[in-house]
Amino acid sequence: MGLIRAVFDATFRQGGARLKPVGPRWPLLLFHVDTGGCGGCGMELQALATGPYDAQGAGFGFVQSPRAADVLLVTGAVTRSMMPVLEATWQAMPTPKGLICVGNCAVDGGMFTENYAVMGGLDRKVQIDLRIPGCPPSPHDVLEGLFSLFGKRLEENASAGQDEGVGSSSTSS
Amino acid sequence: MDPVAHIRAGAETGTPWRFRLEELAWRDLVDGLKQEALPFVGLWCDGTDVHVLFLPHGNQPLAATLALEDGRYPALSPARAVSSLYERMVFDLYGAEAMWARDVRPLVDHDVWTSTTPLASMPGPAGGHKGMIAYQPSEAFLAAEGLAAGIGPATGRTGAPMHVALTLAGETIVGAETVTGYAHRGMALRWRNSRVDEACRLSGRVAAGCSAAHQVAFCQAIETACGEQIGHEVSQLRVVLLELERCVQHLYTLAALAQEAGAVLVASRCMWFREQLLKEAAPILGSRLLMDHCVPGGVSLRSASDVGDLCTRLAELGEENYSALSELWRGYPGLSARLAGIGILDRAALERLGLDGPVARAAGGDSDCRRDMRMYDGLWRFTAGRHGGSVDDRTAVLLDEVGESLRMLADLAPRLGLTAGGRIDLSYQDGEGIGMAEGPWGRVLYWVRLLNGRVEHVFLRDPSYPALMAFETVLPGQNVADVALIKASLGVNAAAQDG
Ligand code: SF4
Repeated sequence: MGLIRAVFDATFRQGGARLKPVGPRWPLLLFHVDTGGCGGCGMELQALATGPYDAQGAGFGFVQSPRAADVLLVTGAVTRSMMPVLEATWQAMPTPKGLICVGNCAVDGGMFTENYAVMGGLDRKVQIDLRIPGCPPSPHDVLEGLFSLFGKRLEENASAGQDEGVGSSSTSS
Repeated sequence: MDPVAHIRAGAETGTPWRFRLEELAWRDLVDGLKQEALPFVGLWCDGTDVHVLFLPHGNQPLAATLALEDGRYPALSPARAVSSLYERMVFDLYGAEAMWARDVRPLVDHDVWTSTTPLASMPGPAGGHKGMIAYQPSEAFLAAEGLAAGIGPATGRTGAPMHVALTLAGETIVGAETVTGYAHRGMALRWRNSRVDEACRLSGRVAAGCSAAHQVAFCQAIETACGEQIGHEVSQLRVVLLELERCVQHLYTLAALAQEAGAVLVASRCMWFREQLLKEAAPILGSRLLMDHCVPGGVSLRSASDVGDLCTRLAELGEENYSALSELWRGYPGLSARLAGIGILDRAALERLGLDGPVARAAGGDSDCRRDMRMYDGLWRFTAGRHGGSVDDRTAVLLDEVGESLRMLADLAPRLGLTAGGRIDLSYQDGEGIGMAEGPWGRVLYWVRLLNGRVEHVFLRDPSYPALMAFETVLPGQNVADVALIKASLGVNAAAQDG
């Protein structure tokens, strides 16, 4: 798994050699892989994606293909059957790309430490760009974690977003 | 032959409802079961014996035990189709072979583990496979002619990983088979000889969205093994957890179905309502996904005395939102039409696979273990809903059940008052116990054996087993575009199934 090396370079911060401008006003596209946990972290990601958190308005979108993704969101303790799938997914993503572990399982196995079937998280196996701990982290925790990529806090952006009239997409109320 | 009397004629064990059979008697039992409709729960192995569990009347258990001979036992799958999943699991974990089994392909061991038969007294060598796991199709699947296609395990959607192999003729599915095991975390090994509190936390992580049901069933099993019973008030707090879980989990499923069917607005309304309920509940109970609130001997809530008020508040939210949501769902242009007529399960399939929960109820099956539970006295009532067995019928039943759970929460509010919650101290004696709960997708049942103050062995029955079989059964003849809808509507859950 030494193959997975996150090249989460300066692009996400300033002026990297990237064609597409990046920043809070541009969607950062996330691809989620569940590598074998209880599914709780995945449910919270789903709540973030379709619930009233306005993830899209905040600049994050979920995609259904790794080829369209900027960031790989990993949940689950990484079973030995899922490792090659994870690797292939990573390879399919265009560079620059980043790797984020959502939930204790994905970070260090959490409750599912290493055994005959489980590798026990990605910590110390690959370069991780961001760890969002929790079992599971709430959608708010995840959003806050994602925001920290831009060196921002969630609250700052919420008001900034309103000023700039960033559209809301996932709230229907 | 009356299989109940036949089992009871076996040798008594330390557990009043479990009897030991000789191999010939076991074989007769399998033959007898082909004619009789004794409800099958599951089959498991502990390394020396195999056990099979039935529920002859309501929630009364009856189990038969057989000593493995040369690591083999006569299979139950010729008489109970779903047993084949348990038999395959037992083989993968213990290497115990089911003779005359219907299906002997690997279920979760795909030759990538660091040892084969990891739970056997002498585990085998490491699997030799590298890279993506190879898949062994059944003969029936190989015989289906058409274009091969596959979905998963990494789809970008949020469900637990599994692969669905398909054979297509145009857009129509001719053959379908699932490949599971991607989410296998070795629960049985983790449970073996674990501390009781640790085992309870694990049971809450079998399948998110059903954590409360799992932990209530697990804790009950521990309590019965200790010969203890929790007080009425605490049991009512557990009912709050179970019904709230059903409510939010059904809304989650409904949102996924609406999203998949293209009704994005309906999906976000469902998720919005779910979030409203969770926003009220999480600060008082202590978490959003209701994990670790049910503990052996009682409950562990952040603020138990506020749960009565919480129920009132949840019921108010229900009043404000439920009927509008339900009307929106039923009247949304094209939504019902999109779901009608697909993924139909008939009564025969229900009975053959032993399906329960909302999936069975939506096909005219009448199974709900709340009916016979003391903690639901005066709360649960029978409601007849749609029973055509299609995805549309299942969504209608889920929607109705959200309403019923909200009603139960409203009824619970005055009963709870300022209940303090808490827990009784259990002294862990050696013994076996069984516990169950009606989870969002049906009966969740735990059998535990305590030894020297620790959990020695756990067997778990989750509705995901029959759901997986139903999924494979129903796919041929369907359009490939409907796979995700059918899967979500059946409650297929690889995290629970893989263990
Ligand atoms: S971190 Fe916790 S909630 Fe997330 S997948 Fe693992 S066990 Fe489930």
